Amino acid sequence: MHILQKLIPPDRWKLPVIIAGAVFSGLSLYAFWISNAPSYLGDKPETCVNCHIMAPQYATWSHSSHREVTHCNDCHVPHNNVVSKYYFKAKDGLRHATIFTLRTEPQVIFIKDAGKEVVHKNCIRCHRDLITDSRLMGYNNITQENRESRECWDCHMETPHGSVNSLSSVPWARVPLPLSPVPDWLDKLVE
Amino acid sequence: MRSVQEIIKERPWVGWIIFLATTVVVFLLGMLASSIIERRAEAVFAYTPEIKYPETEPRLDVWKDLFPREYDTYLKTADTGFRSRYNGSAQIDMLEESPRMVVLWAGYSFSKDYRQGRGHLHAVEDIRNTLRTGGVPSPQPNTCWTCKSPDVPRVMKETGAAGFYSGTWDTKGKEIINPIGCTDCHDAKTMNLRISRPALVEAFESRGIDISKATHQEMRSLVCAQCHVEYYFNKQKIEGVQYLTFPWQKGMSTEDMESYYDEMEFSDWTHALSRAPMLKAQHPDYEVFLTGVHASRGISCADCHMPFISEGGQKFTDHHLQSPLNNVANSCQVCHREETDRLIQDVYLRQDKIIENRDELEKLLVRCHVEAKTAWDLGATENQMKDILQCIRKAQWRWDFSAAGHGNSFHSPVETGRIITRGITYALEARVLLARVLASLGNNREVPYPDISTKAKAQAFIGLDMKKLNEEKNAFLKNVVPRWLREGQEREEGYLK
Repeated sequence: MHILQKLIPPDRWKLPVIIAGAVFSGLSLYAFWISNAPSYLGDKPETCVNCHIMAPQYATWSHSSHREVTHCNDCHVPHNNVVSKYYFKAKDGLRHATIFTLRTEPQVIFIKDAGKEVVHKNCIRCHRDLITDSRLMGYNNITQENRESRECWDCHMETPHGSVNSLSSVPWARVPLPLSPVPDWLDKLVE
Repeated sequence: MRSVQEIIKERPWVGWIIFLATTVVVFLLGMLASSIIERRAEAVFAYTPEIKYPETEPRLDVWKDLFPREYDTYLKTADTGFRSRYNGSAQIDMLEESPRMVVLWAGYSFSKDYRQGRGHLHAVEDIRNTLRTGGVPSPQPNTCWTCKSPDVPRVMKETGAAGFYSGTWDTKGKEIINPIGCTDCHDAKTMNLRISRPALVEAFESRGIDISKATHQEMRSLVCAQCHVEYYFNKQKIEGVQYLTFPWQKGMSTEDMESYYDEMEFSDWTHALSRAPMLKAQHPDYEVFLTGVHASRGISCADCHMPFISEGGQKFTDHHLQSPLNNVANSCQVCHREETDRLIQDVYLRQDKIIENRDELEKLLVRCHVEAKTAWDLGATENQMKDILQCIRKAQWRWDFSAAGHGNSFHSPVETGRIITRGITYALEARVLLARVLASLGNNREVPYPDISTKAKAQAFIGLDMKKLNEEKNAFLKNVVPRWLREGQEREEGYLK
């Protein structure tokens, strides 16, 4: 409290400080609002195309068989517990946001090792029966190695996004990109 | 520790530093905000083409520079080379395949000519060629053009829907030049999917649903449902206008639509042999699809008939609208991991089973019409025939409902099987009643089944003068159509280059 008291300005400075503080918090709120920040707490796939460079990922998913059963988060964030889910989401999300804001995204986006690990575990989470059903398995001296050294998409390359994913791979795809944040009444007023 | 105030009093430059630091922070925050804004604005433009043409632009080839892949694949709808067991893109003469249909439609224009429509690119050509539209003046209203061309919304914008529908079919021939194209399904500003035909919007309104609230996935079926549905021409709505209407007010099942028609005492025509007040089912593809398992799993028409394809590192919607049986890899196999042959056999199996019973119903209906005619000839009264004619109407409505939607037997085999079964019970009911009436009129023997083994024999049996109809059509194609094309071309010369 001692430090806070030191920051309290003398009476004749109070008004300008209030105004300056309001400018700062107003700008912060504005940035919060136009970046759709609250949507990042939810699980809607539309959130992921807040950044339009994710359009190829959205479009390919929405044309795949996974569309009816999974959303982005079902595969791309951990589901072992809620803390690790949001920790991973925050870590990944902040990195994405930073790269997007700095315009340093590559032309072709590849998944990082941490993300791979998460997706792989999520494949197993839903498809466990496929890889543990003894009727579907044969054993030989490389079974163990085959099971542990490979990722699902080493073979299932096209699932679900396809193997080509450059930023320009889906021209004119219809994806729910964020619309203009300007409300209609203001638009009309300006016109 | 001293207060900030005191520090600044002693050394004013500290105050200036705080001022500058705050300025820098707010400035950077502003930059961050405008960066977010810019990237958001990119989203608006990155996937929205820059289009200079108006929403009424009907010509297909002006769009090809902007959408070369969609355009190229759409041109493939001209192909007529694929034939599956029952359907495909080849033009099948359905009356030749099943001459029984000629008898079923006696007194109605479908008995003259019923060739399966070819791909979308042939839409205008096919409607000009069919004997059903005749010559000048045509026996059909302008309503028949509604689904054929992006020229339709263009003209409707000037005339309104009712204004478009009014008049005989030949009076707007010079306006309708371009086959089904981009603006039939796409908004010209954003290229989003759009509903361009008022009938579907009105049908949704009649059920209290706002179609503008449809999701993108629903729109991927609804753009098709503008045309691939059961419809009729309502003559009561506006005087002198045959107003295109979907009979969905009570619901979309065979029975719901039937009771809608019964209530307004509607019939498409009176049968020439049996004098039954008949209903012609058009093509209830969308309605029947909704009752099937693919619809209940969230699949849209476009998922199978216009799948995503990949070409040279680009992925886009295949605009070659066609039977998925000709493209199993991109349609069925996205979800079903079976061999192509196996999947096609699964489709054929369902079609075979449905068509087996549909053929039986078709034969029963021929007998119904012929026996009813015999009863009239022997002097049956209106009163004796009333219930019989209602049974014939109900039976044939069900037959047509399952036959006219070419995909029905696969889209929803259980529902289609149910509809046909009900149709058979109504047809048998009609024949039981007919047997009694015929017996009471002194005929206790079988009424012979006519020789309708070919289309020509069947058309002669119902008394159609095919020579005259063909001559009329040929003269029309030779003399009138070239004039329409010339006038259309002159009009389009004035369009934006």
